[in-house]
Amino acid sequence: MAEIKKFDQRSWVKTNLNYKKDTGSKAWILHRLTGIALIAYLFMHIFSVSSLAQGRAAFDNFMHHYTGPFFMALEWFLFAFVLFHSLNGVRIVLVDWADGAKYHKQLYRFSVVIGIVLFFAMGYIMFSHEIHKLFATL
Amino acid sequence: MYKHQNSRSSGSFSWVFQRITGIILVVVMIGHYILMHYTPESGHTYDAVLARMQSNWYRVLDLTFVILGMYHGLNGIWGIFRDYKLKSWQTISLVGVLIVAGLAFTLWGVKTILDIPYVNTVTSTIAK
Repeated sequence: MAEIKKFDQRSWVKTNLNYKKDTGSKAWILHRLTGIALIAYLFMHIFSVSSLAQGRAAFDNFMHHYTGPFFMALEWFLFAFVLFHSLNGVRIVLVDWADGAKYHKQLYRFSVVIGIVLFFAMGYIMFSHEIHKLFATL
Repeated sequence: MYKHQNSRSSGSFSWVFQRITGIILVVVMIGHYILMHYTPESGHTYDAVLARMQSNWYRVLDLTFVILGMYHGLNGIWGIFRDYKLKSWQTISLVGVLIVAGLAFTLWGVKTILDIPYVNTVTSTIAK
């Protein structure tokens, strides 16, 4: 009886990682990872704003722990996830509906450049208060 | 006979709707981020939220945002799992968990938005 080579469950991750990755597959993986992170954040976010319904004291008391430079930096990095998912989502729509398969690699590079610019633009919006304060003390 | 062997529909509606909700969410999400971080107070204090929530347009926008965001996200999670071969009990439990968790958190979010009070300071001063 010929031995049938079975799919090895243990090397599943390794097999998947061994596939040749190009622009499209990298974007596909990152789109999934950022998507999972964003929906996890949405669940957290609904929990964290729920104290709004209990009035000023409850909300400000809760938010007191989550403001400050560390959490602002986290929110800024969350925007990187938002940006990748948004820009790559636009790219997916263009591939599906606007013949984007012909120029999807250029679109990817374009999205990365736009994404980096928007990331720093958002950084300025978020930290402008701190930046101005810093320059005022100098 | 084999047409609907393992699913009730082709999924083409959810495919189109995923793109439509995605396009809406891109616009609303960027706006949300700028609005919430434009000043250190705008997104993180009760007074700023209360002031915004006096407008029903903001309430409708936030309700749309939470419902569409939750749909888009959970449909995306379902889309990831659909790439793998699941046994029917796994499909049923997964869809069950996604629907129950999604509905519970969506309703929680909707309740939070609707529970924020109207304070009517502007209208009362005008009336006086």
